[in-house]
Amino acid sequence: MACTHDHSCEDHDCSSNWSLYKHIDLAKVTALNEANPGSVKSVFKAWEDRLNSSGEHLESNEGDPELLVYIPFTSDVKIKSISVVGGADGTSPSKMRVFINREGIDFSDAQGMQPVQEWDLVENLQGVLEYQTRYSKFQSVASITLHFPESFGGDTTQIHYIGFKGEATQLKRDVVATIVYEITPNPSDHKTRAETGGGLSQVE
Amino acid sequence: MVLEATMICIDNSEWMRNGDYSPSRFQAQADAVNLICGAKTQSNPENTVGVLTMAGKGVRVLVTPTSDLGKILACMHGLEIGGEMDLAAGIQVAQLALKHRQNKKQQQRIIVFAGSPIKPDKKSLEMIGRKLKKNSVALDIVNFGEDDEGKTEKLEALLAAVNNNDSSHIVHVPAGPNALSDVLISTPIFTGDGEGGSGFAAAAAAAAAGGVSGFEFGVDPNLDPELALALRVSMEEERARQEAAAKKAAEEASKQEKGGEQQSSSQDATMTEHASGATSEADNKRNDLSDDDNALLQQALAMSMDEPASTHDVQDSEMSDAAADDPELALALQLSVQDSAKDSSSQADVSKLLADQSFVSSILASLPGVDPNDPSVKEVLASMQSQSETQQKQDEDKAPNEEK
Repeated sequence: MACTHDHSCEDHDCSSNWSLYKHIDLAKVTALNEANPGSVKSVFKAWEDRLNSSGEHLESNEGDPELLVYIPFTSDVKIKSISVVGGADGTSPSKMRVFINREGIDFSDAQGMQPVQEWDLVENLQGVLEYQTRYSKFQSVASITLHFPESFGGDTTQIHYIGFKGEATQLKRDVVATIVYEITPNPSDHKTRAETGGGLSQVE
Repeated sequence: MVLEATMICIDNSEWMRNGDYSPSRFQAQADAVNLICGAKTQSNPENTVGVLTMAGKGVRVLVTPTSDLGKILACMHGLEIGGEMDLAAGIQVAQLALKHRQNKKQQQRIIVFAGSPIKPDKKSLEMIGRKLKKNSVALDIVNFGEDDEGKTEKLEALLAAVNNNDSSHIVHVPAGPNALSDVLISTPIFTGDGEGGSGFAAAAAAAAAGGVSGFEFGVDPNLDPELALALRVSMEEERARQEAAAKKAAEEASKQEKGGEQQSSSQDATMTEHASGATSEADNKRNDLSDDDNALLQQALAMSMDEPASTHDVQDSEMSDAAADDPELALALQLSVQDSAKDSSSQADVSKLLADQSFVSSILASLPGVDPNDPSVKEVLASMQSQSETQQKQDEDKAPNEEK
């Protein structure tokens, strides 16, 4: 759990852990069922600002608390834990299901598919709770989709902050753009090591 | 230029046999569909369009979203009329077709042609609308044909449920002499929320007026791409040349108003040469644009003729250099000198300002839709110039008295 150290927690110590928001490709973040298009971008901010609710926040449409947030990263990241700050009066999300490295998920897909991991959330208005991931499954995340199916009884779901803790690798997940299938092999494409002159493998 | 995948839902029910839209409701609908497909694929080459029919034996997808216009036009052939339209199923199948589009980055849009009475009730339509909104699918509704009691109300309710930030529209087309497609051209369904397809729409509108194919320069780029390209390039070159010449003219005109007249007449000559290169389409467009402005300019002319400016021209020659660089500075100087002069009726001020060509050119350039290189605009400016010239000759004796 965050901030349960013995010493008094200086904000900047913790906030450096929650710096994965810098690796989010904000321009491509989208959400489904948001009341104000584009408001989803406001929930990704520095850890210190997580309780700052003066700006915009993400809210679902009236009468429908389901939310789906698609977050692509600029490079592959490893996610250790996720923190979500919801709204007051039962507008916090009660469940979270995540999908990794899939784009274009919509509500019917999200409801049908098996998520990589799911959590039952609690109301976390102070932002002190984090939900740990099964780290082995979150080793090379190029994009993550969060599905919040329901809230704590409120008419809408509000989210003020979403934070990711983990590390960023410098790699970019390569999507295979073109694949060439050969029916018969072309020898010039497949030079063996002997021909290229490398013979022995080097052990250092 | 928004990247979009569109599904068009066609009503091919029995009600489409009616002839109140010429030649028949179904034919008018088909023309509109063809036009929409063209507009969408032109505004962004990666846009895809698909078509499905809602009546007949059941909802049937004729073409899944594709950017191949030929495929779409081909599938419109040989469609049969019959049965009853199932609006709810049609929209849901359209949504499913869009969900499985190839390029997930495309925005989803459904265009529905609602020509026959609507069976589902308002509540279920609203539920469908909310589901579309939740999945960020936009919906355009074309309400034509049968005017059932409650039909308009139901469609408006559906639109209100779907509408997210004005991305969805509804158009009511009553029966009348205008073709369905002509009415649709000016609506946001075509113009794509004000940007993008407006170029295509303008060309199509001019074509509808002129009665030729709806392509720029009157030449189908598909049939003869080199000719279309050559025409477009020559238009661009001519425009660039006119702009350069107009800039020179504006500068020189404020310096020597006598020389300006000759220049504009020579420009007219060069323009008539190249006018034959430019085709009726472009001219129609420009003439349409400048009709309103001609009226304004005539008014301005009349005002300047009523109130001959006495001190204006001398001030022009004094401040010619300043005026060339900065027409607004010239205006300020003019106003300050005019205030000190006796002649200070507000009408005279305005007429003096209007008679100053450089100022007028700068104003015209800032007006949207007015092209200062338009030949008709140039002629008016030239005639205004000659007006101020005669005034200058008349008032030269008065000038030394009021010169400061």
